[in-house]
Amino acid sequence: MGEEVKKKRPAPDPNSAKYKLGQIAAKAYSDCMEAKARGEMVGWCASNFPVEIPETLGLSVCYPENQAAAIAARGGGERMCSESEGDGYSNDLCAYARVSLAYMKLKDAPEQNMPMPDFVLCCNNICNCMIKWYENIARELDIPMIMIDIPFNPDYEVSDAETEYIRAQFWGAIHQLEKITGKKWSDERYKEVMEISGRSSRAWLAATSCAKYLPSPFNGFDLLNHMAVMVTARGKKEAAEAMETLLKEYEDNHEKGDSTYHGEEKYRIMFEGIACWPWLRVTSTGLKSRGINMVTTIYADAFGFIYDDFDGMCRAYARVPNAMNLELSRDKRIKLCKDNHVEGLLVHTNRSCKLWSGFMAEMSRQIGRACDIPVVSFDGDQADPRNFSEAQYDTRVQGLMEIMEANKGGRSDGNR
Amino acid sequence: MAIDELLAQFHEIAASPRKQLGKYLAQGRKVVACAPVYTPEEIIHSMGLVPMGVWGAEMEVHEAKKYYPAFICSIMQTVLELGITGKFEGISAIVIPSLCDSLKSLGQNWKYAVPGIPFIPMTYPQNRKPDYGVKFTKASYEKVISDLEIATGAKFSEILLAESNRIYNEHNAAMREFAETAADHAITAVQRSDVFKSAWFMLKEEHTALVRQLTAELKKAPADEGKVRVVTSGILADSPGLLEIFDKNGIKIVADDVAQESRQYRTDVPEKPNPLDALAQKFADMDNCSVLYDRDKKRVGFIVDLAQKHNAAGVIVLMTKFCDPEEFDYVPIKRACDAAGLRNVNIEVDCQMVNYEQAGTMLQAFKEMG
Ligand code: SF4
Ligand code: SF4
Repeated sequence: MGEEVKKKRPAPDPNSAKYKLGQIAAKAYSDCMEAKARGEMVGWCASNFPVEIPETLGLSVCYPENQAAAIAARGGGERMCSESEGDGYSNDLCAYARVSLAYMKLKDAPEQNMPMPDFVLCCNNICNCMIKWYENIARELDIPMIMIDIPFNPDYEVSDAETEYIRAQFWGAIHQLEKITGKKWSDERYKEVMEISGRSSRAWLAATSCAKYLPSPFNGFDLLNHMAVMVTARGKKEAAEAMETLLKEYEDNHEKGDSTYHGEEKYRIMFEGIACWPWLRVTSTGLKSRGINMVTTIYADAFGFIYDDFDGMCRAYARVPNAMNLELSRDKRIKLCKDNHVEGLLVHTNRSCKLWSGFMAEMSRQIGRACDIPVVSFDGDQADPRNFSEAQYDTRVQGLMEIMEANKGGRSDGNR
Repeated sequence: MAIDELLAQFHEIAASPRKQLGKYLAQGRKVVACAPVYTPEEIIHSMGLVPMGVWGAEMEVHEAKKYYPAFICSIMQTVLELGITGKFEGISAIVIPSLCDSLKSLGQNWKYAVPGIPFIPMTYPQNRKPDYGVKFTKASYEKVISDLEIATGAKFSEILLAESNRIYNEHNAAMREFAETAADHAITAVQRSDVFKSAWFMLKEEHTALVRQLTAELKKAPADEGKVRVVTSGILADSPGLLEIFDKNGIKIVADDVAQESRQYRTDVPEKPNPLDALAQKFADMDNCSVLYDRDKKRVGFIVDLAQKHNAAGVIVLMTKFCDPEEFDYVPIKRACDAAGLRNVNIEVDCQMVNYEQAGTMLQAFKEMG
């Protein structure tokens, strides 16, 4: 595959969404560093922990998954994973956990540093791996662990019993944090945070749904970067504003026939799974060189935390991607594929993530049938570069493209 | 019955679950499969159904590969394989808890891979100790009861549950007494495993009766001396090929922290006016297991104590490949064993294990460490 032609980058426009989002993501770390330096307590927080809680309490938290992704994207994945393996952690464990456990020990990673935690906020709505990983951190560093258990929901709807169980834990976590940190919960502040988080979510959903336009006004790889802000800062006003800017840019692009996907968009696919951070360039170029735009991912749906009250919030956190049963997960993806005129599904079978990959084969077969699109998978890993083969990726993407090409021939009415 | 005859019976049952299934079906009983690690067997039992454990098998995987990627533990792979290839025919339903990430996906795959056997989810809370956790466990039990009623036509009654709770507590006590007796009397690792494994394929009242006989006979037998005493830890320790190496090397299992073995029998159903409340409280009381949330990792100290209390030279971790809950716990366990001066070794096991050479070398080295 040819090298990407390096273009001279113009100076970033400080009013652009990209610039603003980048600033917010960077500030998430520097804010935490400063808080720690001021002597405040700082937490490590799971990506789908209800951020409304630390945000309302005014606590500084940083996100190990986000840090691990940043370390991996900047080339440190293998080094950190090997460090944990040297301590006896199996290389079959989630690479985010291995990177994070190594960081806990080394307390330094030039790719992305963050302050050491005074408490951990764990929520297992994305996986139970999270529990084990945070248990080890809490015990090793001898710090409190706040554990919100949101079980995998085998049903399509969230039951009253589950909502009640989650609600009780949310209050439990709030009171535990008040005790640990001395901060106080305020209902008014919570209302504000809820509104801001809803604003960010609505703008994010609207921005990502701009992929409905032909061609799409954005390159889907953008979403993989921007979503960091949805994870870490959706309850902050700046985030809501930046997301609204993003939406506006995408709408403007559409008006002007412009896109952050440069080149002709010949095919549109959905990408399933977490990005292969160590191989981001390779995975993106493999698509772009073939005129394939990855227009949507489940992240486009995952951060729609829109609700009106506390119970609504409880239910929203029980409906995040890895907490949903196959049917609900499938239907959400089918909707994304149909709304965004997707012509093929590329599945990342992620060695790190047992839950995400555990029923993906059956689910993607069902999506393929429902949308009448080809489905192709490749083996990879979100943070451990050793579990990815460029040659296999290339062959699989080529295969996907050929089927999409053949399908276009058969659908000369332009029906896509 | 003489010890040998009893042991032969345990072996026969442990080695032929399908024969047991056939036997119960022929008696007109309905059978419900129970996936690892914990399911409310007491409820199933109380409804007149026969709970049977399914922990996979030593076999090759073909059909399950269409569902699971290679990096899911072989217990999940082979349970699914057995289901797809019709080995559970005659079973009325399968109860699958969502205690680890791989178990969460087993149920989802099952619905499509084995459509003929209804999937009944059991959703346990991880925050199981506070009142709200106990309440959620009870709500999940109620859901399982109604799913079982639909799948089997059986009816639930609190009176019968109270009786089943009692039968299970008795079985727990019998198993604990057996394990303690087996620590000091002559019984091989393979035979010990047969006793634990057969429990999964029998009604507990029947198993209790047999185990009590064996324990009584064992107590009369001479003490087993001169062996290297060990504690085993892991999810499964039932591979005869592997256990024979223990026996060949004079390594004796004096206690275990194995999920399929003693972890099942540590906690009793407490006394409470309502038997379903009591059963929910049992789950709240459970501890020292990799799939149950534990900020303090009490399991680590528990294993060290278990070894010290039984005068063991060390701990043999039998690591089910791709079992992430156990893999996370391994590091603190290893450190604690090292600190306590306990020998320890980590042997990876897999249902597709055909070659025990490496395990043999490791066990020999373990023995010679002393
Ligand atoms: S990648 Fe999967 S296993 Fe790892 S933290 Fe995320 S959801 Fe959990
Ligand atoms: S991963 Fe471990 S706990 Fe989960 S089913 Fe497999 S062996 Fe059991």
